[in-house]
Amino acid sequence: MFRFEHVSQQPLEDLNFTIEKKDQVILFGPSGAGKSTLLFLLNRLNDPEKGTIYFKDAPISEHPVTELRKKVGLVLQAPNLFPGTVLDNLKYGPSLFDEWQEEDGRRLLDYVQLPSSYLERNVDQLSGGEKQRVSLARTLANSPDVLLLDEPTSALDYRTAEEIEEVLEGLIQEHELTMVMVTHNLNQARRLGTRGLFVADGKLQEDGTIPEMLENPETERLREFLEQ
Amino acid sequence: MAPEISNQSLLFLVIFVIVPLALSYFYQLGVSKSVLWSTFRGTVQLFAIGYILTFLFELPASYGIPFMLSVMIIIATFHARQRGKELPYVGYVLFAGLVAIEAGVLGLWLIFDMIQFKPSEVIPMSGMVIGNSMTAMGLALERMKSEFKENNGRLLAALSLGAEPKQASHLIVQKTLHASLIPNVDRLKTIGLVQLPGMMTGLILGGVSPVMAIKYQLVISLSIFSSVSLSSMFITLAMYRYFFNREKQLLQSEEEIRSSRS
Repeated sequence: MFRFEHVSQQPLEDLNFTIEKKDQVILFGPSGAGKSTLLFLLNRLNDPEKGTIYFKDAPISEHPVTELRKKVGLVLQAPNLFPGTVLDNLKYGPSLFDEWQEEDGRRLLDYVQLPSSYLERNVDQLSGGEKQRVSLARTLANSPDVLLLDEPTSALDYRTAEEIEEVLEGLIQEHELTMVMVTHNLNQARRLGTRGLFVADGKLQEDGTIPEMLENPETERLREFLEQ
Repeated sequence: MAPEISNQSLLFLVIFVIVPLALSYFYQLGVSKSVLWSTFRGTVQLFAIGYILTFLFELPASYGIPFMLSVMIIIATFHARQRGKELPYVGYVLFAGLVAIEAGVLGLWLIFDMIQFKPSEVIPMSGMVIGNSMTAMGLALERMKSEFKENNGRLLAALSLGAEPKQASHLIVQKTLHASLIPNVDRLKTIGLVQLPGMMTGLILGGVSPVMAIKYQLVISLSIFSSVSLSSMFITLAMYRYFFNREKQLLQSEEEIRSSRS
């Protein structure tokens, strides 16, 4: 799906790895290690300073950028909903490509386990957890092949975070999505991820399966991180 | 007969300066210097412009008017540019906008015989339109910058969903225009009720009948209203694109914006 060849973008240097279709990647590491930067590169909200990223075997810059962003959905840490109703938010993406159908609203809310009565609700009236669900549904509305998640539960309380995790778990399995998720929460990593990428000190330090990485870290740097 | 203020009477204006100076002194506001400087500068500027206007009003309209309008537009361009220096081409865009607006407004005034093509009529009236447009453009630039900063997350969300920069910044353009129009709508609503507009006051003091003064005031108020609206719309629609690069990525810092088109 994605291939990184000698990619550098502050603070990350010389990244080389691939993300295969249906991979459920957890991107983790200390704050400021460049995890969000990496997600921005995948959605092309930024371009790398050096190196090339390939998406489906062609350099990412050769894909029409709006089409690429539609296929590679990004959920940001804060929901960043647009003013208006839940429906306005859900149809935003598909309307850009003339793909919105009336019945999509209910289906999308169903994915994130919200009742369809929420469609007409103003986003100002939603709780933090509900907002994040709508934000997730808004990204799913574009039917992306890849779902990028930038700490989607970090601003939520434990219980709400767990509910969102459940939603995500169901969605990934059902839609066979490729997922790249940044998280600080190792339990969440265990639950949602199959593969781990550990970045620290400007480098990709370790790349492996999640259980293996968390139980038997290979590098000293990851061991240090897990002990903290 | 037009009223006249003698130079001796004018000297007593010092009292009006002593008040803020005293306040600054007693409350240690530290603004005495700037009070004195701005008073001095304002006085000199006004007297200078008084003599210049006397000179210009005596010039033939055919070159007195274009000369003074060019000077006003150039100064207004430089002044408004301060608010958006980091944006590429902002000076050219401001200049073009001010020229177009002034030409349009002046054209309408002359076609419909509202004023005569005389320096004493065109220059003060145009000055008000250019000045207000300059302020409106500067405010719109500033507002747009802060809206872009404030709505960073929403803009990223919109782009990440596949929006073109134009679609992503729709909300910002809307908010900027709204913010620039509201004070004008309010001003027009209360015109004459809260305070008599400056031009009308001037005409009445100069001995013109209040109804005649109101006619002039209407011409200028509505001209300003429409030129201010057009100015903000023009500058906002012309400049929002420079907050993005060619790859449809949002530029996050002033440096990025500055270097994006070079």
